[in-house]
Amino acid sequence: MTQPQTLTLNGRELAFAPGETVLEVAQRAGSFIPTLCHDPRLAPAGACRTCLVEIEGWRRMAPACATPATAGMAITSESGRIDRHRKSLMALYLADHPEGFVGSELGAPDQVYQLAERYAAPTDWPRMDNIRAGRPLDENPYILFDATKCIACARCTRYCDEVEAVTAITLAGRGSQTTIATVDNLSLLDTTCEMCGGCIDTCPTGAMAEKIPLLTAARPERELTKVRTTCNYCGVGCQMDLNIDPEGNGGRGKVVKITSPAPGTTTNDGNLCVKGRFAYDFIDHEDRLTTPLVRGADGQLQPASWSEALQRAAEGLLGVAERHGKDALGFISSSRCTVEENYLVQKMARAVFGTNHVHQCAAT
Amino acid sequence: MAGLVTTFGAGAMTNSIGEIRDADFLFVIGSNTTEAHPIIAMEMKRAVKRGATLVVADPRSIWLTSMAERHLKLRPGTDIWLLNAMANVIVTEELYDEDFVAHNTEGFEAVAETVRAYTPEAAEQVTGVPAEEIRATARQYATTRKAGIYYTLGITEHSHGTDNVYALANLVLMTGHLGHASCGMNPLRGQNNVQGANDAGATPVFLPGYQRVDDPAVLAKYQASWGVELDPTPGLNLNEMMKVAGTQLKGFFVMGEDILLSEPNVAHLEEGLNGIEFLVLQDIFLNETARFADVILPAACFAEKDGVFTNSERRVQRVRKGVEPPGEARADWEILQDLARLCGADWDYGDPAEIYAEMVKDAPKFAGISHARIEREGGIQWPCASPDEPGTTFLHEGGILRGKGLFTPVDYRPSMELEDSEYPLLLSTGRTLYHYNSATQTRREQGAGFKQPEAYVELHPKDAGRRGIADGDLVELLTRRGNLRCRALISRQVRRGCIWMPFHFAEARANLLTNDVGDAVTGTAEYKVCAAEVKRLSEQPAPVAFRGSYYAVEGPGPGKVDELPMAPVSAADPGD
Ligand code: SF4
Ligand code: SF4
Ligand code: FES
Repeated sequence: MTQPQTLTLNGRELAFAPGETVLEVAQRAGSFIPTLCHDPRLAPAGACRTCLVEIEGWRRMAPACATPATAGMAITSESGRIDRHRKSLMALYLADHPEGFVGSELGAPDQVYQLAERYAAPTDWPRMDNIRAGRPLDENPYILFDATKCIACARCTRYCDEVEAVTAITLAGRGSQTTIATVDNLSLLDTTCEMCGGCIDTCPTGAMAEKIPLLTAARPERELTKVRTTCNYCGVGCQMDLNIDPEGNGGRGKVVKITSPAPGTTTNDGNLCVKGRFAYDFIDHEDRLTTPLVRGADGQLQPASWSEALQRAAEGLLGVAERHGKDALGFISSSRCTVEENYLVQKMARAVFGTNHVHQCAAT
Repeated sequence: MAGLVTTFGAGAMTNSIGEIRDADFLFVIGSNTTEAHPIIAMEMKRAVKRGATLVVADPRSIWLTSMAERHLKLRPGTDIWLLNAMANVIVTEELYDEDFVAHNTEGFEAVAETVRAYTPEAAEQVTGVPAEEIRATARQYATTRKAGIYYTLGITEHSHGTDNVYALANLVLMTGHLGHASCGMNPLRGQNNVQGANDAGATPVFLPGYQRVDDPAVLAKYQASWGVELDPTPGLNLNEMMKVAGTQLKGFFVMGEDILLSEPNVAHLEEGLNGIEFLVLQDIFLNETARFADVILPAACFAEKDGVFTNSERRVQRVRKGVEPPGEARADWEILQDLARLCGADWDYGDPAEIYAEMVKDAPKFAGISHARIEREGGIQWPCASPDEPGTTFLHEGGILRGKGLFTPVDYRPSMELEDSEYPLLLSTGRTLYHYNSATQTRREQGAGFKQPEAYVELHPKDAGRRGIADGDLVELLTRRGNLRCRALISRQVRRGCIWMPFHFAEARANLLTNDVGDAVTGTAEYKVCAAEVKRLSEQPAPVAFRGSYYAVEGPGPGKVDELPMAPVSAADPGD
């Protein structure tokens, strides 16, 4: 065994594993270093310069996200020089960003505004007037690209390339006009895009945003309640956060969007697929059954009270068992329902009715 | 599942999703992973980018094949030939793990004997996969330590699905790819809680925790706990139940399934359901089965109730209530409790945590798991026998669960139904990324319809050409059991002579066409292969059946293209 290697961060001695970056060591130690273009799922790009730190013996500041930790490194992440750098960098980003803090509140929180506020960046720098090209007519149902908020950090394109591996979007244009484009400027629908929404999730400013909540339930994310749950589609069991407007649906609460937990915290590593992230319209669909139904003498299904419907259900099942024996009943449970509910169905079949005829779509 | 329990003593992924990224060899068979399990596919992509070797065995050129080192494009239904031929190579070239076979398994000789006849050359004749490819795959699989097998529906939904699982298990056992990280035998579960439903005993053979109903000790334990006499005879499985609906079975309780849409050979089932006396349906939407229901109970959806789901890697995770159900709808567990009480039970559960606690009390595999613990620690993977055990990321570390892994020799049996002159094409069905099962949920989603608005059948250009069918044409699809209309999607991703159709669309129920001949052991119906023919109906203005499809001949686009130029609209003119 070799001795664990160490470095110092703001005078604190920290151990690190080979291959770790300065940022990773700092994050593990609970030290905040601001970042914009960094996403732990992606190879470091070192593109936004937000995470610059001082390293003893180095003339220039270095990006923490792209600098490998080495033994004996002495790193400073808070100093007058670093603070001046952060202020002017954020001022530059602000000059190329929509004015005021209001717009940011519609979608996900905008980290440019957050960092500008945190480091008290000047807000009076001359504005840049180079406008990035957007894709205003992209008719895809989910993903909005607001070019004015894009900072060209390439997290979305790198995600699409490195994680989803379909490369549907790409950086195009040069300098301050760099934008996010598709091949031939096609609608995302006509590209290889799989609508995973990972580009939205990784975007630090909300330039990639969700269309539907923006259009129909525009509430700032900080006013929503997040409830951690498990996706109800496939067997991967992704963890996800229901973003709920507590006052929606007349006080019943309304799921206005679904976001993924931070990368590295759950099995899905911050990722979701098109179904998990976007297919939640069904929750509030007008076709939802809202009252028990009982088939009347006329053969039609009629609304009924719970007690009436449950009484009918119990009598019907008991009646079949009486007339034809317990094994004339079949119980079909559901892999869509919870473990507890499946437990109760099989217990009902076995303990209440005495039959082992209980199953669900077992092999899938 | 039955196959896995017999072989390894547990029916679940042996390893974990998080280990996939570190695997060095991935053998994906019968799983269109990018569409059915996109997040697992991301892990596979990550492994490949890191340098792992990916081999895909599938009759279609699914997306994953574009990243694979080898694509074994086998004829549908010939998996046993392929797998036995791989075993043949491993045995004849002595690539098996002698030590592991000797200490941890039984029955190796029988398998070695059986696979002797399955030479790669003979397999080439049947499967259409070149012998050298089979050899190379077998060698690489056997000699890589972190080598995992991943499979799903494609491999189990055959009349000989259980055999396929045995054949795969034989490969795992002879190579000893078990009991360490990033290897194993990994069934990817299609539905969110199939694992959990099986864990909870919603099966005719097992009580919770895979304890057999015909095991007297188990039965005695449950009789004591539940205070009632229990029947020791295993019940009918789903496929069997559907076959005797109306004859032997006169009443049904159905929770959260559209048995009509998800069962093969629907015509026969409808006839049966006409003969039953009573059916209770409990669901969130009216579905096709509702036509036969006497009582319908409105249930809460996943966002409106508490409980746990168990994912493919045996991880028990919380479902949490975020919003109230609409109208008078109620959580399924509440409805079940009320119904059971009206039928004479004395259930009195205050919340799902209590139900879960009762379940684990008699099921040692889950005994250490509780809602409270998941609340503190996040999801926990079973087996987890006591509250101070962390749970299990991969199974069989330090010994196979059932004692010794059981080799099971299997022989090839042709699919029950093969193509002939009247039905010259082989139809398979499956999932797509944008829809989910019977699509009662996803088709109520505004977005999914943009990408795949209606049913389609994938057809090779050569097969289409001979029938005068063009991309987007309305066609009629015929099998011995029925016919339906849908769009044609001309695609080179299917083999010549094979067609493929997603099973999500109610107006074109692919299951009207398929075969309900069940697997001898699990009763899983033969969704995957049946004989069919396609006819062009008439020329219709052809909308794009599947926009931006990887599977279409023309490749992505063009549907409607943005009219706006790329250049900035109001910025400084680049000319100055
Ligand atoms: S949704 Fe996914 S596939 Fe589509 S552009 Fe974004 S990251 Fe790429
Ligand atoms: S988000 Fe997609 S991959 Fe994840 S569990 Fe849901 S359906 Fe499966
Ligand atoms: S976060 Fe390090 S350069 Fe962007």
